[in-house]
Amino acid sequence: MRTRKLSRWFLFSESSFVYLFLYAPIVILVIYSFNSSRYAIWEGFSWKWYEILLKDQLILRSLKNTLIVALTATIASTVVGTIAALGMQRFEFRGKGVLDGLFYLPVIIPEIVMAASLVIFFGFIRFKLGLATVILAHIAFCISYVIIVVRARLEGFDRTLEEASMDLGANELQTFFRVTLPVIAPGIISGALLAFTISIDDYIITSFVAGVGSTTLPLQIYSMVKTKVTPEINAISTLLLIPTILLIVISDRLQREEK
Amino acid sequence: MIKKIIPVRGLVVATLVATLSLFIACKGKESKTAKKQFNLYIWSAYITDETVKKFETQTGIQVRYDTYDSNEALLEKLQSGVTEYDLVVPSDYMARILIHQGLLLELDHSKLPGAANLSSRFRNLPFDKDNKHTIPFLWGTTGIGYNKTKVTEPVDSWSILWNPKYKDRISLLDDPREVFGAALKWKGHSINTKDQKELEEARNLLIQLKPIVKTFTSGSFDEVLLSGDVWLSHGWSGQLAKAIDQNKDLAYVVPKEGSTIWVDNMAIPKGAQHLEEAYAFMNFCLNPEIAAEITNISGYPSPNEAATKFIKPEILKDPARYPDDKTLASCEFLEDLGETSTLLDRYWTEIKSR
Repeated sequence: MRTRKLSRWFLFSESSFVYLFLYAPIVILVIYSFNSSRYAIWEGFSWKWYEILLKDQLILRSLKNTLIVALTATIASTVVGTIAALGMQRFEFRGKGVLDGLFYLPVIIPEIVMAASLVIFFGFIRFKLGLATVILAHIAFCISYVIIVVRARLEGFDRTLEEASMDLGANELQTFFRVTLPVIAPGIISGALLAFTISIDDYIITSFVAGVGSTTLPLQIYSMVKTKVTPEINAISTLLLIPTILLIVISDRLQREEK
Repeated sequence: MIKKIIPVRGLVVATLVATLSLFIACKGKESKTAKKQFNLYIWSAYITDETVKKFETQTGIQVRYDTYDSNEALLEKLQSGVTEYDLVVPSDYMARILIHQGLLLELDHSKLPGAANLSSRFRNLPFDKDNKHTIPFLWGTTGIGYNKTKVTEPVDSWSILWNPKYKDRISLLDDPREVFGAALKWKGHSINTKDQKELEEARNLLIQLKPIVKTFTSGSFDEVLLSGDVWLSHGWSGQLAKAIDQNKDLAYVVPKEGSTIWVDNMAIPKGAQHLEEAYAFMNFCLNPEIAAEITNISGYPSPNEAATKFIKPEILKDPARYPDDKTLASCEFLEDLGETSTLLDRYWTEIKSR
C-alpha cells in the first residue's frame, strides 16, 4: 500500500518537474514580451513591443515570405508525398528497398549537409537564389516527412475495401475518392501539418538557399538577435505560439475523431 | 463502416485552387521588372525603412533589401555565386577575405563623388589600400563597459581586467583576436604582432586571467552588464553605448594603452546586375545629411566628416561613441596575421579549455 502511494507521489512530482522544465522558459518569454525595458530587467507592463512589431516592415515582409513558402511547400509536398506513398505501398519492383531508404534520407542526414548540397546544386545549375529556391528546398525536405506519416497510415489499410468497391461497380477514380482517400485522410492531414510546422521554423537550410527578398521569419529573428532588440523577438515568438497551439489542437481533434 | 470525416472532394478542389493562385501570385510579381531597382544586403539595424523610402522617392529606384547577422553569413551567400545582391556591407576583416577571394568589384571612383566627404582617417585602410573595393559606412571601437557604482577605482587601463578583486564579475569577448589584443595592448605591443615572445607573454597573462572571468560572450556582453551579473565587460562600442542610454550607472572607456577600431564598409559583389543603382545608393549614403541620419538612428559613429554638423550633439559628445583623437590614435585595425593565426588559435583553445 505504502509503496503505491510513494510511487504515485514520485511519478506526480517527476512529471510536474518535466512540464516545468519544458514550459517555464516559454512562459518567461511571454511575460518578458510585455516588459517595457529593452533588457531582461522587469520595468513594468507595456504593449510597446507589439506596436513596434506591427510597424516593422522587415518583420511583416518576412512573415509574408514565411507563409508563402510554408503554404506552397506544404501543398506541393503533401500531394507528391501522398502519391509516392501510395505507389510504394501498391507496387513491388526491383530496387524498391533502395528507393524506400532514399525517401528517409533527408530526415536522417544532418541538415547542414543538405543545406550545403542544395547551395552547391543551385550554383551548379546557375539557378539564382530567391523565393523559388527556398520553396524548392522546403518541398524537398517536407516530402520525406509526408511519406513517412502517410505510409504509417497505409500500413493498417485494408486493400479488400478497394476490391469490394470495384466489385460494386465503382471505377478506379471513384474508388480512390470515395474509399481510399477518406480512410487515409487523417494521415495526409497529419503529414501536411507536420510539413507546415517544419517549414515554418526551418532555419539552417533556408539561411543557405535564401536570396534577394526571400528572408523568412526565422532568418529575420536570427539577424535581429545580434543587434539586440530582444523584447521585439519575445513579442514575435509569443505571436508565433498562438497558431502553433491552434495547429496542435486541430491535429489532436482529428486523431480523436478517428477513435 | 467508414465514416466520412471531411468533405474530401471539396478539400481536393480547394487545394488545387490554392496552389494555382499562389503560383500565379509568385509569377505575377516576377514579371514586372520594368522599374529601376537594386538589391541590398546589410546588417540589421544599420538602415531603416524611412531612409530607404527617402532614397526611393529621390531617385525612383526601388530597393529590395535583406539583413544578415554575421559576416560569415554574408561570405556564404557570396561564395554560392548565385545571389543577386548589388551592394553588401562587410566588416574590415571580412572585406579582406572577400577581396582576396575575388568576390568584390573594383570600384569606379569617378562615379563616387560623395567619397570626398569621408574623413582621411577612414581612407586607404590596411585591408583595402586606396579604397579600391570598399567605402566605409559605420565604425566603432572595442573597449570596456563598466558599472560606476561597483567599480571603485578609475577604469582607464586594460590592467583592471586582471584585478582579482573583480573575480567572477568580468566578461570577455568570445573572440581570440580581441582578447589577445587586450593583453598585447596592455603590455604596449601591437594587436597585430607576429612576435612569438610577445604572443607567448599575452598567452601567459590570459591563462592567469581565465579563472577570474565569469563568461566569454560576443553577443550579450551588454546584457550581463545591465543585469548586474558583470561589472566589467569587454565589448564593442555600439552595443555598450546603447546599454549606457538605458542605465546611467554604466560607462564605457577605450583603455589608454589603445584598442581595436573596426569599420563596416559598402562594397559591390562581382557579377552585380544593377551597378548604376548601387553607385547611386552609395552616393546617397555618402550625402552628409543622410550619413548623419543613419548615425542618429543606429547610434554608430560615421566615417563621414561632412556629416558631423548634422549629427546629434549628444552622440558626438559621447566618448563611448566618439573617443577623442588621442585615444583613436592609439587604436589599430585588425590585420591579417597569416601563418600566425594558427598559433593564436592553438593558444586560444588552450586558454578556453582550462
